[in-house]
Amino acid sequence: MVLLEIKQVEKTYRTKLGFQQCVALRGISCKVEEGEFVAIMGASGSGKTTLLNILASLDRPSAGEVLLDGIKLSDIPDRELSRFRRDKLGFVFQDFNLLDSFSLRDNILLPLVLARRPLAEMEQRLIPVADMLGITTLLAKFPYEVSGGEKQRTAVARAVITEPRLLLADEPTGALDSRASANLLQVFTKLNCLGRTILMVTHSAQAASYARRVLFISDGRLVSQLFRAADENDHSFFARIISSQSALAGGGEQNG
Amino acid sequence: MAEQSSRGFYRRLAWTNIRRNRVFCLPFALAVAVVSAVFFLCVGIAFSDGLSNMPSGATARAIFAFGVFTFALFAFFFMFYLNHFLVKQRKKEFGLYAVLGLSKNHVGRILLWENFLLIGGGMLSGILLGALFGQLLFSLLKQLIHAAPGLQLRIPPVAYLGVAILFALVFAATAVYNLAQIRLANPISLLQSEKRGEKKSRFLLPAALLGLAMLGFAYYFAWTIENYAIALGVFFPLAMLVICATYLLFAAGSIAVLRLLRANKRFYYRPEHFVSISGMFHRMKQNAAGLATICILSTMLTVTLTTTLSLYLGQEKILAERYPQDLAIYSGGAEGADAAAYDAELSDLAALYDITLRPAETEPEAISVLETLPHSLYDAQNNWFYCDISGADADATAFIQELRKGKDPLVYGYFDDIFSARQEGYTMFGGLLFLGAFFSIVFLVIAVLLIYFKQVSEGYEDKARYLILQQVGMDAQQVQDTIRRQVRWVFILPLLATMLHMLFASRIITRMLEAFLLYDWGMTLRCSLGVCLLFILLYFVVYQLTARIYYRIVRHSV
Repeated sequence: MVLLEIKQVEKTYRTKLGFQQCVALRGISCKVEEGEFVAIMGASGSGKTTLLNILASLDRPSAGEVLLDGIKLSDIPDRELSRFRRDKLGFVFQDFNLLDSFSLRDNILLPLVLARRPLAEMEQRLIPVADMLGITTLLAKFPYEVSGGEKQRTAVARAVITEPRLLLADEPTGALDSRASANLLQVFTKLNCLGRTILMVTHSAQAASYARRVLFISDGRLVSQLFRAADENDHSFFARIISSQSALAGGGEQNG
Repeated sequence: MAEQSSRGFYRRLAWTNIRRNRVFCLPFALAVAVVSAVFFLCVGIAFSDGLSNMPSGATARAIFAFGVFTFALFAFFFMFYLNHFLVKQRKKEFGLYAVLGLSKNHVGRILLWENFLLIGGGMLSGILLGALFGQLLFSLLKQLIHAAPGLQLRIPPVAYLGVAILFALVFAATAVYNLAQIRLANPISLLQSEKRGEKKSRFLLPAALLGLAMLGFAYYFAWTIENYAIALGVFFPLAMLVICATYLLFAAGSIAVLRLLRANKRFYYRPEHFVSISGMFHRMKQNAAGLATICILSTMLTVTLTTTLSLYLGQEKILAERYPQDLAIYSGGAEGADAAAYDAELSDLAALYDITLRPAETEPEAISVLETLPHSLYDAQNNWFYCDISGADADATAFIQELRKGKDPLVYGYFDDIFSARQEGYTMFGGLLFLGAFFSIVFLVIAVLLIYFKQVSEGYEDKARYLILQQVGMDAQQVQDTIRRQVRWVFILPLLATMLHMLFASRIITRMLEAFLLYDWGMTLRCSLGVCLLFILLYFVVYQLTARIYYRIVRHSV
């Protein structure tokens, strides 16, 4: 079943006076099936974050449509948007975006509290999520008391505790060292195995190699994609991603 | 040559920084201006010729000199505190400078220039402000004390020197502090300093309980005081106790209460409370002292104004208490037979001044034989004449002055009259009211500045928080409600505490006023009610204005 459908999405920014246009996305189309783990790769300025913001309903496209679960994002009225985000989407950010004034437990529970879930349900959901992410013993601590990797796993817990249809991650390993990165990506793989659909934006080939499919984006266009073969190991997929990336970079230079 | 141009460079950079950070720098300069204006006037009055020429001027000068010293001490720490605010806000910027390759020396120089411009500019405008408003305030004072129109305010040169010395010290202290801040820190920690977590608080419950016990004791004592002698004796110790208790309760008590609220999961895990309570935690840990200070300043303001206003408005009651008869004359020379003649003579003299004398309506106490003459009540045993006077106050005063000159051979004795006392009362109580109002304004300005600095710095701290909350799925309405609720509590807490303090203070104030023979609790209550209402009004105006600044900062990101 198709979970996310992106149809000819374009995004144009105008400068303040409106004389110059800056095109961030030029007609992007793709589909994401339920249960997929997709990575979107691209250099800085390629438009990948713009795309993610549009998928997250934080930004609206200039043209084109995005459908999640068959619902057009453009049909959702503004006042329903935050509720929609809360129910359907989970976010993981590069710099964690945890609140210092909350303990890890409360950071994770935040979306459930905002959704007015009963207390018993919160507790019930918290335990397995914290267990899976290995942060059960840290729940009473505050964000400034734990490491970067632990913060990011807390952020993941916060993102998945609502059981969102789609997990969006924006450079989730950007602020982590290599060990914490690997650990986090294994968490993503595990979540994906449990049926969670994940869309991750990254410029790290290492991170992308954990996905089942990699989309390359360059100058606002989808330029190619790689599928991971069923029996392919991490190493070989990583090597293929690297070679695609360098081919794209070479092409870019020729064009430029 | 190169040195020359680079020096200009630092000054220009400092000036650009000030303009860019005007949200903080302008109020800081304003604080310098207000504090220097007040200090300028205080020193000016304390050392003016007018004060030494006044009756009991020496005592007044001593009191003023003490006041000036206290104010200087307070001003010094206040400016230091504001500077700390300013620097804390900009640590990230200093880190950036270091990353960009400016050495610590360079950053230090920029900072010195900034402080020099801010303090120097503020001080100059403060002196100007003081000189201008000084005259205005002085004419107001003359009105209040019904003074002769000839009186003039001349501010002696020592006042300029005083302000210059005070702010030179402030400049030196802030310079040392700021340079140490830069020198001790490395760029990365400066860049991240904003996000550093707060310390875990210990001894919370004992501290909260201690505060509660102290406050309870002070309140109980203030409420049950029996007479004015005790009230006068314990007022300052009790005030100190209340101040300590306020700090303890704001710092520890608030956290303890929030913990209790947080422990109640059904209450805590609701959207309306969840974000607000955790936000309050954050704020109370960092700003409890600031809030307590606002509360103390507000209480000082209302207490001072209530006391002085009660005295000023109650002086007729005080006079009536002390002078049951308008005029009492001890006439040593008048024999019984001459009393009637003397009575007539007095009346004739009074007629020259357009006033009429009547026998006093209230009988003096402990007098054996009283004889009612046409114009006075005569105590033959002790040779006292008691009269009430009808006519204009000014005429009566002139008449009494004439009597005091002692031209009449019959009168060599002793006068006691309400008119001279009234004049003295106006001087004393009017002067007190003036001082009360003056210091209330100072307290108010300081409280407003504190509130402003808190709001702005908290606004910048909370900005990131609200952005995250929106990303996690809080809608704009919820964000707005949460901000409102939190800002409201931070404002209302000091106000509530002030009103509670005031309620109990009104009792002890009433007792103290009995020392001045003012036995009117109702009036003290009315005065404190009026002062409190006025204060609440002002407070809410300040709330509206600074909350708007806060909203603007926070919403800018949302």
